[in-house]
This record gives sequence, structure tokens and C-alpha cells, in this order.
Amino acid sequence: MDAEIIAMLGQDGVTNGAIYALLALALVLVFAVTRVIFIPQGEFLAWGALTMAALEGGQFPATVWLLVGCGVLTLAVDAFSATGRRNIGRSVLWNLAYPLALAGLLWGLPIAELPTAARVLIALAIVVPMGPMLYRVAFQPVAEAPVLVLLIISVAVHLAMVGLGLLIFGPEGSRTQPFSEAQFELGSLMIGGHTLVVLGASVVLIVALYLFFDRTLYGKALRATAINRNGARLMGISPALAGRLTFFLAAVIGVLSGLLVAPITTVYYDSGFLIGLKGFVAAIIGGLASYPLAAGGAILVGLLESFSSFWASAFKDVIVFTLIIPVLMWRSLTSHHVEEEE
Amino acid sequence: MNANTQTRAAPGAPSRLSPKLVLGVFLVLLVAAPLVLPEFYVTLLNYVGLSALVALGLVLLTGVGGLTSFGQAAFVGLGGYTTAWLTTAQDLPGWLAFIGSSPWFTLVAGLVLTATVAVILGSVTLKLSGHFLPLGTMAWGISLYFLFGNMEFLGGHGGLSGIPAVSVFGYELLDNGQFYYLVWAFVLAALFTTRNLLDSREGRAIRALKGGMVMAESMGVDTSRARMVIFVIAALHACAAGWLYAHLQRFVNPTPFGLHIGIEYLFMAVVGGAGQVWGALVGAGVITVLKQWLQDILPKVFGSAGNFEVIIFGVMMVIVLQRARDGLWPLIAGLVPVREAPKAIDSAAAPLARKPQPPMGETILEARDVTRKFGGLVANNNMSLHVKAGEILALIGPNGAGKSTMFNQLSGVDTPTSGDVLFRGKSVAGHSSREIAGLGMSRTFQHVRLLPKMTVLENVAIGAHRRGSKGVLPAAWRLDREEEARLLREAAIQVERVGLKDFMFAEAGSLALGQQRILEIARALCSDPCLLLLDEPAAGLRLKEKQALAELLRRLKSEGMAVLIVEHDMDFVMSLVDRVVVMEFGEKIAEGLPAEIQKNPAVLEAYLGGV
Amino acid sequence: MKLKNLFVITAAALAAAPALADINIGVVASLTGPAAALGAETRKAVSLFPTSVGGEKVNFILLDDATDPTAAVKNVRKLISEDKVDAILGPNLISTAVAMADVANGEKVPMISVAPLDVSGDKRGFVFRSEPSADLMVQRVVADMVAAGVKTVGFIGFSDSWGEVLHKALTKAAEGKITIVATERYGRADPSVQAQILKLISAKPDAVFVGASGTPAAMPQITLRERGFKGRIYQSHGVTSKEFLRVGGKNVEGALIPVGPVLVAEQLPDSHPTKKNAVAFVQTLEAKYGPDSRSTFAGATWDAWLLLQNAIAGAQKGKAKAGTPEYRAALRDGLEKTSKLVGTNGVYSMAAGDHAGYDASAIVMIKVENNHWKLVK
Repeated sequence: MDAEIIAMLGQDGVTNGAIYALLALALVLVFAVTRVIFIPQGEFLAWGALTMAALEGGQFPATVWLLVGCGVLTLAVDAFSATGRRNIGRSVLWNLAYPLALAGLLWGLPIAELPTAARVLIALAIVVPMGPMLYRVAFQPVAEAPVLVLLIISVAVHLAMVGLGLLIFGPEGSRTQPFSEAQFELGSLMIGGHTLVVLGASVVLIVALYLFFDRTLYGKALRATAINRNGARLMGISPALAGRLTFFLAAVIGVLSGLLVAPITTVYYDSGFLIGLKGFVAAIIGGLASYPLAAGGAILVGLLESFSSFWASAFKDVIVFTLIIPVLMWRSLTSHHVEEEE
Repeated sequence: MNANTQTRAAPGAPSRLSPKLVLGVFLVLLVAAPLVLPEFYVTLLNYVGLSALVALGLVLLTGVGGLTSFGQAAFVGLGGYTTAWLTTAQDLPGWLAFIGSSPWFTLVAGLVLTATVAVILGSVTLKLSGHFLPLGTMAWGISLYFLFGNMEFLGGHGGLSGIPAVSVFGYELLDNGQFYYLVWAFVLAALFTTRNLLDSREGRAIRALKGGMVMAESMGVDTSRARMVIFVIAALHACAAGWLYAHLQRFVNPTPFGLHIGIEYLFMAVVGGAGQVWGALVGAGVITVLKQWLQDILPKVFGSAGNFEVIIFGVMMVIVLQRARDGLWPLIAGLVPVREAPKAIDSAAAPLARKPQPPMGETILEARDVTRKFGGLVANNNMSLHVKAGEILALIGPNGAGKSTMFNQLSGVDTPTSGDVLFRGKSVAGHSSREIAGLGMSRTFQHVRLLPKMTVLENVAIGAHRRGSKGVLPAAWRLDREEEARLLREAAIQVERVGLKDFMFAEAGSLALGQQRILEIARALCSDPCLLLLDEPAAGLRLKEKQALAELLRRLKSEGMAVLIVEHDMDFVMSLVDRVVVMEFGEKIAEGLPAEIQKNPAVLEAYLGGV
Repeated sequence: MKLKNLFVITAAALAAAPALADINIGVVASLTGPAAALGAETRKAVSLFPTSVGGEKVNFILLDDATDPTAAVKNVRKLISEDKVDAILGPNLISTAVAMADVANGEKVPMISVAPLDVSGDKRGFVFRSEPSADLMVQRVVADMVAAGVKTVGFIGFSDSWGEVLHKALTKAAEGKITIVATERYGRADPSVQAQILKLISAKPDAVFVGASGTPAAMPQITLRERGFKGRIYQSHGVTSKEFLRVGGKNVEGALIPVGPVLVAEQLPDSHPTKKNAVAFVQTLEAKYGPDSRSTFAGATWDAWLLLQNAIAGAQKGKAKAGTPEYRAALRDGLEKTSKLVGTNGVYSMAAGDHAGYDASAIVMIKVENNHWKLVK
């Protein structure tokens, strides 16, 4: 193993780590605001990537129909709940009119000839709204339930989404075109253009998130909810709104990571889960609370994965997931009081 | 949790069936099933039994104990692979080859291995708050799956085949119909031992994990141990299921031990009703049969194959958890009205041993210059107080004076920043509330901490936890009945003593708030204390009840009990207690007889003119 | 009581069992789960099966094993005891096949595996196979390597049973001829194989053999090319569906693959024994599923049916009626007597000691050229 290989493994690890970092941030965010351990995060990644692949292939993305279905379901849930009926007009607009309008637009567009930027926007426009819809349908009715119940629901949603993924995308995977095919030479090290895109996009996203939480009213409201749910409610921040907003952000991050990962690897309908779980290992390193620790943990996971692939590729996943045990042990040793379950 | 009380049909309704009859019918059906059913249903029932065994562990873990594991399938794998490897490998060293000579030895080996792994994993994750355990089990479920698949000696991803059949008394169980009896013998044994366990001293401790950890610790329950116990039991159930699986299938590979199967087991427990042992059976049956059924029906409906059943299971889970969190079992139980026999109290059972009570007038509890800081905030500053045997001391003060913090310092829930707490002359600052409980201090809570679905009697019996000693195994096999009768008798005596006799078998959650506070006192008394710490015992009580409470406390005092109460109700305090300590801004501002305190200008200032 | 209710529900669901007089054939395939891509190919072939043989009606009951041996065994038991099948085709994977074979053999129901299961030994009396073994395929690869002067080979394969089978086959076939200088594993859903490829390249092999299947097999080759590997790259016969070409794009150009001849039916020389059958099958298949929808998996399933059809035709001359143990025994005997049966993917001759009688000379090497399969002459 020479310096060049170390550098290349490092580059590979950091690239994957950057994607895990994005997912880990979303997981920490969702957990902090809603107490949901968001297992389906990975599905947004896969759906985003596969929608993009369909667009590149010039096909009408089947996820649009899923969006329409989700919208109708959300509208139905709204219509059957007292709070939902109060804003039924807005619900119709977002859950029925918007998906149908999008479907209509896509029907008319020459999908095969769109520029990459437009495809990215369309993929976002299709998949991201399903985030808040998901919150409305699956989590909002039980927002006050114990963490454990929310977790089981989360796993159930994940399963249903994987099943739907197989249904709409089929068992085969797809890759998408890299955003940049340039190669840069840095000394003896070749750096792929797409690697830079991934790193750059991750940094931009993280900075954007920071600015959102630090500078905007909605961001501050979310932070307030994360710190003290009841307090935030008393201050007039609706937990339902905070939840939907969080899921919106999580979906944005999920889809963007999917777009970033699809040129590097073949994405399958069920790829999201394992990638998402590695984000989880990172998030757990951060105790599901600290953003910088989670991001650092993600890079660690990426590097560990890369180097263990080199040394013992058959045991790579064993090594990555067993990392969680020393992490938990360390957490367990540093916390020593009896905790009351919520 | 308190509001989540279930209303049950009134007992004694005319059409109720005897539980023995229902059980008998069930057993007869179970025995007759392979004789009358087509072969495929027997096969299905075998798988239902295997899953039920795993789900039963999860009922204990999730439904009763409030912990969750997605990794049970990995424990199933440990059991399956242990026996598969030992019984098929050719050149094992002598002692391993000996174990491999009979599946029954490999069962023991698998159980020992699983228990070891579970203890190691448990010690890493169980101390952390609830959601780390499921995430941890997810991660190690995946890594064990890949480990099975990459071990050359375990046959890699291809698996191990040629596993021998199990023999019972020299008779080989080759046929599905024969194996059925073995599977269901295991399931029934697991069902009854689990049910027995839950109805015992250890069982109450386990049930206290969900929603009452601080309470359980103050009653002397070692909650970490209780968590470990159920985690290991659940793992052992899964291991046994794995052993059965390996000898039923005669082939193992990593697929059935993967994470998605682990998730399915959890679904079974939740859908069936995670709070009930029978729920495991229902869940395993419903999911197994539904899966088979959906597989037949859905492709016909949708015209193509897909993971439809997964979608439906996912959606079903969400609906169950949103609408019927107790699962299907309560619905099914409602169809078959079984008479509930109230627990018998054996008044002839020998009374429990009592600790020698300290002589009247001895100082029981003493706080010396206790200071507690939270960052820059000083919640308690140089607080000193003492309580003697046969005395009632009241700790009063306006809201935010630091009474609750002081209470926590005394009861071991929190540790003072400086100063000391002496209980019967021994320093207890920094000791756990469990240890302190063992020394003879018992308490109630400002926000009532009961297990709402347990009866009043059982709630009170938790208090006697440290006065019994029988563990998990005797409880599972009903070897604890003599001690259990003594514990229940003691609990019944305390229930009567506080005047809740009429509610002995009612669910604690159905009581009025005031009665629940009284119940807490009975529970505290059950631990044979020499000091009672009561946190606002009169709040929510009506006048009559207050008088009864005062009467009870006076009687306790006359028997030599030391009582410390934190209370708001001035009338109640002033007419009852011997001495009063008044706090404001974390400090003691006055101490003395009630009459003196009522005239003390500083106290009047604090209560009336402070603003 | 509650169990009984469940039975009523199930019984209702299963009531639509076919009539006894027809010939009933069970098919088990991985329609979902990790091997769903293979199952989809089996399903294509099944949809082309005829509805009668020699005037007797044939029913096919296709069940999904979700790539899980437990489900596969449940399916076999159901097919045997509920649907009273006379024979079973499938499944797609060795792991599910091993589990199923024990049951089928125990219940004395003939089974033709589409996965390269080991069918030798006395516990496989009723089990046959239409898929050529991985050994034969890899031997063809090694022969090609030797001919091309390859001295060292690197292996990168799935960390699952398929990767394992191919690695063993390569180790066996290469013994004494070619040195395996590196062995790497990766997962189907891994985001990257950079590290493994770096290690492979650093061992400087003349050629690389990718032991994977379907679209995930493209990733190592893509990474190898990106990292500037110039040597020959061999893929296993597990990649032969058009999805592999779609995902691999220009990076899988030049990949060398040993396959059953069905994949390049039209390009076969007229002298190739299976040309006629293969072309006919491919045309029927592609008429239904579109151009380039062929795959060797569909071919193997089809050949499994041809083997069975041959045995059914033989059994029709006898007295045994469908649905009886005698009939199943007759099918088994018929299968064992298969002699020089020309399928789409090869020529089959079974014997008591050989339930996988596949004539290795039918295997051809192909190359990816301009995103199409091209027969290597």
C-alpha cells in the first residue's frame, strides 16, 4: 500500500462520506424536531436517483403517479380530520392540483431533450413533496407517541416504500450521467470532476442549512421546536407545520444525495436502505443530536468503508456496522443515570 | 400513559367462559390439527409456531419491557447455525464433536452461545435511552448476516445442508406432522413460562420498566438487570426457534436471518398485540397466513408480481399503530369472553420478615449543608434538616423554592454538589435510589407513577420487591408460589391499611387521582420502611380523604415511622405535622413547630408579601 | 378457535386449486428480493409455455420465493400438497434450490432446477438441472484466457453465494494454468468498489474475472476502466440481460462472457446444433417483450420446460395418470432417459449418474461490441 493508494482510498472514502454526512444531517434534524428515527430517508435517495435516471432515459417518470397517489391520500386524511378541514383549500391546492399540474407539464415536455439542470429540478419537484405528505399521513396523527412507536412506524413506512419502489422501478438498477466528466491531476493523484461536484454540493448544502437555521424565521422555529416542543407550541409554532417542514428538508437532502450518488454507483429500488443505515451509524456517532459530530462520523464511516474494502472486502459491511458497538459502548460509559422513557 | 386506560367488559357477565375450558379447547385443537388438516396447513402451522416463539420474546421485550429489537432474526441465526455447524462438520475437535453428536446437545450449546452474545450486546446498549437499542440491533443484525455469509466453515452464502433430524426418545422426527408436535411443545412451554414469569415478583419488576423506571428503582428494582433479563430471554426464545428451524428445514443459509426477517418478527409482535403473550401467537399466525394468502391473491388482482405483501404489511403496521396500538389480541379476546379469575390472596401465608424498627426519637434522616447547583443556578443552598423516628416533618415553601430538588437529593434520584445526606447514620449521598430503598427509605411521587393497567394489588406488591428473592427461573416454572403468596398477602394488608380494600383488583389507572396517591403510600409501606418521603400526598384529595390520610399518617407515626412530607396544603400540614421546615430561593428560612411557623414574619413575607 | 378462522380464510384463498386430471406444473422463481431480476426472466419464459401437451391440458402455478429459502420450501410444500403438482421447475438461486431439492426429492416429485445446483448423489434422485454448471462456464473462460496468453487473473465477485460459486469454479479451472493473484468481494448495493479495484490493479493481473450477475456486475468493470486497467475483462454468464448493457454503457465494451448460445442465436453458425431452436425461441420472446429482451435465464427456463415436455410426452405413452405417484415416477424416469434433446441453450443427455447432462460444446464466448452481444468466432 503506497501513498497513491492511500490518497485514492481517502478520496473515495471522503466522497462517500460526504453523502453519508448529508443523510446523517437529515436524520439528526428529523429526530431533533419530530423524534422520528427516519429510516425511509434512504428511499428518498433511491427514488430521486431513479427518477433522474428515468428522465435521462427520456421516459415519463412513474414517480409522478406515486406523487398523485400520495397527494390524494394526504387530501383524504386532511378531509377526515377536523384540523385538516380548516385548511382544505390549501390542501387541495398542494395535494391534488400540484401533482396533477406537474403530471400534465411533464406530459407536454420533451423529456429526452431537457438540459441536466431542468432534470434535476423536475426530479426534486416530483419526489420532494412526498416528504411532507408522508409526514401528514403516517406521522402527524401520532406525533405525540413514544419514540419507539414512531420508530416502528418508520420501519413500516420504509418497507412499504421499498415495495412501491420495486413496483414502479422494477428490479434492475440505473446509473445516471455524471455532472462533470473532467479529470484533474493533483500531483500524481487523479481527481474526478464528479468527486468535486459531490464535495462541493455537500458543503453548499450544509452551509445553506446552517444559514436557513440561523437566519430565517422558519429555521429558527424548527430549532425552537427541536429544543422544546411544548415551549415552541406555546410560542405559536405549530408542531404539525414544523414536522412537515422538517420532512420537506429531509426529502430535499435525500433526493439531492440520490442525484449525487447515482453517477458513482448503480442505484436499485432498495439501495437506499443500506446507504441510509450508514448515515445512521454516523448520526449515532453524533448521538442523534450533534450536527458536526454526525458529519465527522459520516466521513469516518466513509473512510472506514473504503479502507476495509481494500483490506478485507468480504467483511466490509461487518466492519462498518460493528463500528456502532464501540460507539455505543463509549456512549454507554459516558452516560450513567436511569432514564425515564417518554 | 395514565389516560390510556382500557375499559374492559364488567366481570361476571352471564355468557363468560371458564379459562380452563377455553385453554382445553385450544389444546385439543392444537393436538388434533395435524391429524385432520391437509399437509400444507401443518407446514404453515410449523412456521407459525417458529415465528410465534420469536415473537413471544419480542412481546416480553417490546410490549412488556418497552425495549425493541430488529435483530431477533440474528439470534435465530445463532441458534440455527450453531446446530447446523456442530451436527454437520466433519473434523471437529473431540469435545465439539461430542456436542455435535446429538441435536439436543447443540440446542444447549446454542442457548449458551446466544446468552453470552446477548449479555455482551445488552451491556453495551441497554443502558442507553430506548432508541439506541433498536438502532444497535439493526446494525448488528446486518453485520451478523454478512458474517454468516462470509464464514467458510459455515458454508458461506451457500449455506449448510444435510442437517440431521431430531430424535425424541430414539424416534426420528422426519415428517412435518411429527415435527409439528416438537415445535408446538416448545411454543407452549415458552408461552406458559412467559405467562408465569409475568405473574411474579420478577414479572412485576419487568412490567415496571415501561413507564416507571424511576419509580421501580425507588422501590428497589434493579432496572438494568430487569432489562438484561428480558433481552436475554427474548434472545433465547429466538435461538430455540433457530434450532427448530435448522432441523425442520435441514438446511440453513444466511437469508432467513437477515434484517428484513427481523423486522417481520417485530411486526408479528406488534400486530398481534405486543402487551400479551397470546398476542405473539396471533401475530405470527396472522402475518404468516396473510403473507401466504396475499402471495396467492395479489398477483391475480394486480396482474403482475411485485412486493405487494410488503407494501400491505407496511401500510397495515402504520394503521395498527395509529388506530389500535394494542394490536389484534384485544379484539380477538373480546370475541371469546373468558372469565377473569381474581388473584387469590392466601391469608394464611406466613408474614414477611420485617426489619427491626429504630427506637422512637432516633434521628433517621439528616441533611447536612446540602447544596445543589445546576450550572450557575443554585437550586439548594446549605440546606440542613433532620427527621426522627415517630415524627412527621413538613417541608414547605412557595413554588420554585427548591423543595422538589431537595426531595431528589434526599431520595437518591440526584446527587448533591456538596454537603451530605445521612440515613440512619450512614452517608447515602451519591448512592442510587435502589440502594437507599434497601436501607428502609420509601417514597411517593408528586406526579403519580403507577402502572395503570396493573391491578391495585400488583402495583402495591412492587413495593415488596426487595422482600422477596425468587428469580426468573423459579418464577417461570412456578416454584415461587409460596413466596409469591407471602408477597401478595403483605400487599393486600397494605392496601387494606390505606383503605383501598374495595379497589384491590381494579386497574390502578381506573382510580381517581386522590386514590392513586393513597395507592402510592401503600406501595411505599409495602417495602417495610422506617422513613416515608411523601411528595404532595394531599393534592387532589377531597376533605374526607384528607382526613383519612391524616389519620393514617398519625397512626404510622405512633408506630415509630419517620415521615417527611412536602406539601402545599397549609391546613393539612399545620394540623398534622410535628415540625416544619420552610424553604425559599433554595434556602431554609425557618424551622420550628407549626404554631411558631405560622407567626414567623419571614414565612409570612415569603408566602404573602413576597412579590 | 382463532386458528380455525384463519384456516377458513386460507382455505377460501386456496379453493381455486386446479382440477386433478390436468397436468399441474409448479414453478418457483425469485420474483422479489435480491434475485428479482432473475425471477423476472423466468417469468417471461413461463408466459410462453404452451397450455397443453399432446392434447392434455397443462396448468402452471408460478410462486414467488422472495429469494428466501424458507419461502421456497413453503412454496414447494404447497405445490406438492395443495396443487398436487406433477413436477416443479425453478428456482433461480442455488441457495433456494438446495432447500427445495431436499423436499422435492423426499416427496418424490421431479424437479428441474434452473439454478446450477449440484444434482449428483442419492439425495437427488428426482432432481435435474437445465442450467449448465458454473464449472463448465468458467472452464470455457479459462480456456479462452489460456488461448489469449493470460498468465495471471484477478477475481472480484459478489459477497454472496453466486460470487462464491464462481470463485470456487475459477480456482478449480485455473489450477495449474493460471495464477489467481487477487480475490476481492463486493456487495450488490455497494456505492463504490474503488478500494477493491485499487487492490486488484496493484496485483497487476493480465485479466480480471468479474464474478457477479445482472446490472451490479457492471460496476467493477466501469471502475477498472476508469482506473485505467487495460487487460481483458471477463464477466460471468450471470450478466446476460440487456439491463447490463444499459447500465454499463460504453464502459462495458469489450467484456468477454461465456454464455449458452441462446443469447446470440442469430449469429450462430448454421452448424451449431441449437441454432434453429434458439432463433425460434428468441423471436417468440422478443415479439412479446420487445427487442433485446432475451437472456440466458429465460433460455434455461425454457429448456427446463423442453426437458419436462419431452418426459410428459413419454409418460403419455404409459398408463399412469397425471396427479398420481406413478405418473411422477414416470416423469422422473423419462427425464433420466433424455437423450440428445436439443434445447435453445444447449443439448441435453441425462443418465442415472448424470442429472445435469449438458453438452459443454454448446457454450460460446461473446463480447460486448457497440452495446450489443457479439459472438466471438
